[in-house]
Amino acid sequence: MASGKATGRPSSGKVRVALIGLFLVAAWLGMAYRLVQVQVVQAADLADQGLSQRLVTRDLAPQRGKIFDRNGELLAMTVEAQSIWANPAQIEEPLWVAQQIGGLLGVDSESLYQRLTSNRDFVYLKRQVEPGLAEQITALEVRGLHAHPEATRIYPAGEVASHVTGFVDIDGNGLEGLEYVYDEELRGTPGKAVFERDLEGRIIPQGISDIVPAVPGTDLNTTVDLPLQYQSQQACLSAVERTQADSCWIVVLDVENGGILAMAGAPVFDPQTRKTVDATCDLEADPTCHSFSNFVVRNVYEPGSTQKLITVAAALEEGEVRTGTWIPQVADVLELREGACLDGDDDVYGCYQDFDKHDTADMTVADIFTRSSNVGTILIGEKLGEDRLKGYIEKFGLGSITGVDYSVEAPGFLNFEAGCETCWASAAIGYSVAATPLQMAAAYAAIGNDGVWTKPHIVASKTDVDGKEDVSGLETRRVVSEETARLMQELLANVVEEGTGQAAGIDGYRVGGKTGTANILSDDGLRYTEITRASFVGLAPIDDPKVVVAVLIDAPSFEYRTGGASAAPVFAEVMEQALHRLGVTPDADNG
Amino acid sequence: MTALPLRAPSAKENLRVLKGQRPQRVTLAPWMIMVLIGVVAFLGLGFARTSLDKSAFELDQLTRAIEEQGAINEQLRLEIARLENPARIAPLAEELGLVIPADTRQLLVDLGQGAAVASIDNESETQ
Repeated sequence: MASGKATGRPSSGKVRVALIGLFLVAAWLGMAYRLVQVQVVQAADLADQGLSQRLVTRDLAPQRGKIFDRNGELLAMTVEAQSIWANPAQIEEPLWVAQQIGGLLGVDSESLYQRLTSNRDFVYLKRQVEPGLAEQITALEVRGLHAHPEATRIYPAGEVASHVTGFVDIDGNGLEGLEYVYDEELRGTPGKAVFERDLEGRIIPQGISDIVPAVPGTDLNTTVDLPLQYQSQQACLSAVERTQADSCWIVVLDVENGGILAMAGAPVFDPQTRKTVDATCDLEADPTCHSFSNFVVRNVYEPGSTQKLITVAAALEEGEVRTGTWIPQVADVLELREGACLDGDDDVYGCYQDFDKHDTADMTVADIFTRSSNVGTILIGEKLGEDRLKGYIEKFGLGSITGVDYSVEAPGFLNFEAGCETCWASAAIGYSVAATPLQMAAAYAAIGNDGVWTKPHIVASKTDVDGKEDVSGLETRRVVSEETARLMQELLANVVEEGTGQAAGIDGYRVGGKTGTANILSDDGLRYTEITRASFVGLAPIDDPKVVVAVLIDAPSFEYRTGGASAAPVFAEVMEQALHRLGVTPDADNG
Repeated sequence: MTALPLRAPSAKENLRVLKGQRPQRVTLAPWMIMVLIGVVAFLGLGFARTSLDKSAFELDQLTRAIEEQGAINEQLRLEIARLENPARIAPLAEELGLVIPADTRQLLVDLGQGAAVASIDNESETQ
């Protein structure tokens, strides 16, 4: 049969089969080539690419440390809040959105509208709002409106402890007070999390995971007593209102260890909003009314008669006088530079007068101190001499920082310029010397602590992840002998019992203290004005002092211009509360 | 019909004995066991993997729950601190008519001398 014979040419069927076979072989070879390329040649690169798409690295923010008072009451803590933001390009009806959420956020709708119509892809509408409020906003389901979690610093005691805690900025950086000084320890150490996620963003359980946990910030346990801090602040606010003063400042010190029990002032500010809470503050009229500055630590003043404690203590310590030593012919005016008292505008240097006019008479050291005689104190200082007087003023801590753990402490200064013939006399009665209220309180605490000066401090201990660390290691130095300190305590008690500080008396306790009334220098620094800084610094109970309270009232009205009239009653109010808070038993024989 | 065959069969004349080994039956048991083990192992691994994943998800959920509860706890601490703020309590106390006593009387018991009691009256007797 012809059809069954081989003709030498393949049939078209076989050719097709062969072609298909070749095609399949080629296809397989192609796939094999690609397989080798993907699985062998590019395997590592592709695996890396895939992994990089799945891997996510996130910084883990540490929680900022808390701040507590001495009883464990919270003064500052960090909680999670929500920040509301928008992508203006996605907002379809910005005017409606602005009107809807303006009221909720407490932000002006016009301002919101401007932000919602800006050309940016991301605008904050309000940061760090309460989670509940954020839920209300997101429940509106407006496209382009979002909320994301963000830590916020809260001060539960509000303005009560603002002059102690200070505050942070909106990004959590310490700007003032303890928040600034201990910022590095409070903020903790950030962590890092690396993990694999699926298409929906969920963590792949068995995927790559590497977490370095964030280390929370250190908690600070302060020496501050919150109820006493409140009482001090209320006393200051009342005093400012009563005396029409510019400001009032109080510091309460624990005599034995230098712990600051309260440090308050008026005007006050809210650390949360970083705004003054004084409704009368008009920034345009008085830019200083918005100040966050803590006068107790940062501002200096001429202490006036409260400084006489150092002059008399130095003279007693050096054996130049005793409390019963008679100082002859103490007048009410002393002219150290000829003609100085003739010109009223030239009374800065050389002319010294007692506050109350009196006949020239012999006075004991105790009388001079009790009646706060400027002339008598200068005569005592004269026995001491300039060098020794300056040395004791420095030993008591004036003219240099105390080292308290608060931001930007002022050192003050001592004006003992070479060639200044009257500076020593001014310094003997608290002029030509500038000190902070805290320095004065620490000086009085040294007398209360039987002659041992102790560095003031606010933080008693810190608590980190490893436990509690006591940091209140006392820095002390002896400034006068125990005997001199006891004598000074008695002299201070005399001032309250018989002298200028009788308004500082407290029922049930024997109190000692000293009034101070210092005229303020004019702006040009050439003469003193009639405006005063009235102060009172004292101890109680005087037989075994536990607490020092220093009160400074800046520029009270004329009626209250003296320390005895304005500061002493505030001292009594605060000291009584302090003694009650510390559980100090009343003196049995001082009913 | 008859039940008898038409022709009686020859008595086993076609039967004969073959020389050589008797063909052995293939034993399926080991194969079946191996397959069974394989299947069990496969299912077991799958189950273990699923369990592991499930545990990981549960762990993740628990971690989130702890974080949420921790956040709630912090909020409650904050609430307590706000409520304990003297600046909130003092005005409330005043509204309720509570005041700091002006006259106080403190009794000091001298334990060293038995029941001797010294009294201190501040300004006046307690009313």
